[in-house]
Amino acid sequence: MDKAHLDLLLDPVAISRAETLGLHARMLVEGYMAGEHKSPYHGFAIEFAQHREYAPGDDLRHLDWKVLGRTDRYYIKQYEQETNYVAHILLDGSESMKYGSGKYTKLDYAKMIAACLSYMILHQRDAIALDIFDTVTRDYLPRSNSHSMIHKVLTTLAAFNPTAQTNIAVVLHDMAMQIRRRGIVIIISDLFDDEQKVLEGIQHLRFGGNEVVVFHVLDKDELEFPFTGLIEFHGLEGIPKILTRPQEIKKSYLRELEAFRTTLREGCERNQCHYVPVNTSQPLHEILSGYLAFRLKTTTR
Amino acid sequence: MSFLNPFLLFGAGAVVIPIVIHLLNKRKFQPVTWAAMRFIKASLQQNQRRMQIEDLLLLLLRCLLLLLLALALARPAMRSSSNKVLGQSKVTAVLLLDNSASMGMSDGVQTRFDKARKAAEQAIDSLPAGSAAAVFLASDVAQAVISEPTHDLNLARKVVREAQLSDRSSDIYPGIERALETLRNRLAIRKEIYLFTDGQANGWRQMADVQKILKKAGQTGSAEEVQAHVVLISDREERNLGVSALSVVTGLTPANRPLRFEVQVTNHGKHEARDIRVALSVDGEPPSDEVNIPSLPPASTRGVSVFARFRTEGFHTVTARIAEDRLRGDDQRVLAVRAIREVRALLVDGNPAGEPRETETFFLRHALQPVAAADVENYFIKSTIIPAAEFFEARLDDYDVVLLANVPEFPEATVVAVENYLRRGGGLIIFPGSKINAGFYNTVLFKQHQILPASLGEPRGDAGQEDKFFGLQTKNYDHPIAALWNDPGVGTLGSVRFYRAFDLIPAVEPATTNAPPSTAKAARAGKGKMPEVNEAKEVGAARIVLRFADGAPAIVERPWGLGRVVLFSSSASTAWNDLPVRPAFLPLMHRTLGSVLNRQDENLNVRVGQGFARRMGGEFLGREAVVVAPSTAKQPVRESRKIELVGGAPLLQFEGTDRGGAYDVSVKDPATTLRFAAQPDPAESSLEEMTEEDVKSLGTVAHVLRWSPNLSLREAFEKDRLGAEFWLPLLLLVLACAAGEMYVAQRFSRSK
Repeated sequence: MDKAHLDLLLDPVAISRAETLGLHARMLVEGYMAGEHKSPYHGFAIEFAQHREYAPGDDLRHLDWKVLGRTDRYYIKQYEQETNYVAHILLDGSESMKYGSGKYTKLDYAKMIAACLSYMILHQRDAIALDIFDTVTRDYLPRSNSHSMIHKVLTTLAAFNPTAQTNIAVVLHDMAMQIRRRGIVIIISDLFDDEQKVLEGIQHLRFGGNEVVVFHVLDKDELEFPFTGLIEFHGLEGIPKILTRPQEIKKSYLRELEAFRTTLREGCERNQCHYVPVNTSQPLHEILSGYLAFRLKTTTR
Repeated sequence: MSFLNPFLLFGAGAVVIPIVIHLLNKRKFQPVTWAAMRFIKASLQQNQRRMQIEDLLLLLLRCLLLLLLALALARPAMRSSSNKVLGQSKVTAVLLLDNSASMGMSDGVQTRFDKARKAAEQAIDSLPAGSAAAVFLASDVAQAVISEPTHDLNLARKVVREAQLSDRSSDIYPGIERALETLRNRLAIRKEIYLFTDGQANGWRQMADVQKILKKAGQTGSAEEVQAHVVLISDREERNLGVSALSVVTGLTPANRPLRFEVQVTNHGKHEARDIRVALSVDGEPPSDEVNIPSLPPASTRGVSVFARFRTEGFHTVTARIAEDRLRGDDQRVLAVRAIREVRALLVDGNPAGEPRETETFFLRHALQPVAAADVENYFIKSTIIPAAEFFEARLDDYDVVLLANVPEFPEATVVAVENYLRRGGGLIIFPGSKINAGFYNTVLFKQHQILPASLGEPRGDAGQEDKFFGLQTKNYDHPIAALWNDPGVGTLGSVRFYRAFDLIPAVEPATTNAPPSTAKAARAGKGKMPEVNEAKEVGAARIVLRFADGAPAIVERPWGLGRVVLFSSSASTAWNDLPVRPAFLPLMHRTLGSVLNRQDENLNVRVGQGFARRMGGEFLGREAVVVAPSTAKQPVRESRKIELVGGAPLLQFEGTDRGGAYDVSVKDPATTLRFAAQPDPAESSLEEMTEEDVKSLGTVAHVLRWSPNLSLREAFEKDRLGAEFWLPLLLLVLACAAGEMYVAQRFSRSK
């Protein structure tokens, strides 16, 4: 892995801006270390949370003897534990991601997002797991918070080349089954799949207690459809060619696209996920810092 | 429905162009690799049908545009008799205005020609906007005033208003033919001929031919499809007197001697005419002689003799005039005559010896000078008699005419001298006799030099036997010399007895087969037929002047150069016949002499419309001659003509003899004046009109209208002119299609 390639994936501007903002788990995530993230597990750790009346069967070790001495009542001490969280980065590596009208393809951009996020998460000593998928998982890096992880991530990202179609929903369901510790699931994809199924997958992940962030990566041309003249569209995922005059269907195309995005956004909101629209023509740092600032605002209590 | 440019219909094939472009365009696209196919697919599913319909609509519009354009260029046209919506179609018309002499018939207020002009103007007014009209003046020829149909109808109106009546005779056929020819190659849905004429029967002589060509042209589907309208302008005039002929009776026209002229007056009307005063005047001066015809029954002709005298030698005009009636053109007639001062005759006697009565020239001299011996000096014919032996030393140019009487033969040099003499305009009259060398006459004079108009055959009869004789023809004299005796009142030639005469075998004219090829063309072009002087040859055709009772030629003549040769078949003395002692001998000789001397002046009087031509001396070559034509206007009509070399000699030609009357010709240098006269066709005076059957049968091929002062020609013409050309609405449709195409294409290509 040469330096240049790594630089390509790691946007220094994005990272430097994002670092200051930090990637806090929006919700309580269980973890090993008392880190910056609050653990949802109450018990025996460092930070006192509350008292609870003793109930038969409770471990007597947690009985607050001081309160018993003073008041003759049985209270159990409860603690909050700051946990280390695991960020599962799900990167869509299907063929449709190969499209790009500008400098980057959607996949390039998605890889950059993945790399930057990985770097930041690892930097704050949280763990990440990387999963590149199309119809099934193609490349998987198990969770790790070691500093060498970033190199593995970058290498894996750089080496990946898409070949097949998308089937996000299946992958999401698989992931929901696999994740045993709750954490953040970051989905980076154009989500060109049945949006209902995608939303079901997200819902499944949410039911597992995971926080889900969706980076919806779309190209500028896909968003604006600026074509004129007679154009033959060659589908990227084995879809037959279509010959048409795009300017005559632009409006309905944009309408369809908007409907698709709206469905996804609303579905995400319903499931309390973050939906981040990404336009590949925008600088990465804008998107990342924008999102992280938003995130900071919503998680600060 | 028909097309005026049917070939351009092939342009309709251009409809394949948009289709081909459409198909080609389908192959010309930009490939784009695309991820978000599902949205395109979805939009396409929504829009596919609409786009297909739009495409089809656009294609149809473009094809329709080209189709309509091709159609418009092919100029479709439809004739219709009922569809008033389309209005009147444009017309290409030819107006034929009869300007023959009979159109000058007045009703007291206006002439038929005035009415015809008004009717023609109405016809022009009735033409729908955008029409074109040509105007011809039709008499016996069609004169183009506007030869090709013009869209400038004001011009047409103007020329109609200014059209001039002529004195020509009428013949409808050439006019109709010319009009059809003009229309033949015109592209127009409606072609019409308007003929404004009086219904004079004379003009419709070729009724069958007129009907034939009109029928052919009028057939639907024929190349022309011409509708003919005939407006008959007749006023049922019942009275008309006309001077139908004027001629000099006297064979010679010496100055200062009373000359007898014959004037014929014809009553063309239906009523008897009384007290017709016939006046004769010379050179436009007050009448010198007047004769009264007390009564002239209808449809009859009476000839009267009137006398006039020319004071000077040279060219004069004689005008015979009767009181003006409603047709003025025929109330006078002009004759041009060249008066001569004296005639010098050389009589060559082949038998000079003996008693004066026995000589060959005795009777000839007395016939030429029929006056008392004392007056011979003052008589205008001077004669010199020489014996045949001295003929070779005679100076022929001192004489106007040479008479050879029984001259046996003469040397070759003399023959050449005679030839030159004839060439310059001399006259030669030859009498055979017992002494002549027939071999010399036949070989040298006839064969080698072609001087004689006939060869001499075997003599017949016996001069000694006075009980065996043969006579001359008694009627049907067609040669001008003998024409006098057509009138039984002046005596007869029939009583002359011939005992012996040569058989004359007239020269076969080789040139007669070589008729001028362009006569018909020239006539159509408005030029008159040129007389024989046009022809290049020196030797004219032999004509028989007089025949014997059995039909054999008795006298034969032929023009030679500017002169003339007359050959008698019998002697000038009483040896072979008793002609010299008959009263007819004197007029016969004088007329023969006149014919020989006036060889040049024969053409002084031409028929109106016929060209005038006169051989001029060499010094006139290339000069300008000014011809002053008679005119009703105050300003005389002057035209100038160049004297050009035709057939080896300078020739003055003038073809514009449209009006009857005297024409003055003057050449400045060398100063010369001469006169000629044009005489109208007496048939034009006829009041005879087309019969009702003729009108009816004409009605089968043409739309015949009788003119009356309150007739609305406009209505009559407009009635069957419905139908239209469609190129304009088609072009508008094309424009609409183009605009629609632009709008639709713009609209369809907007993003949706």
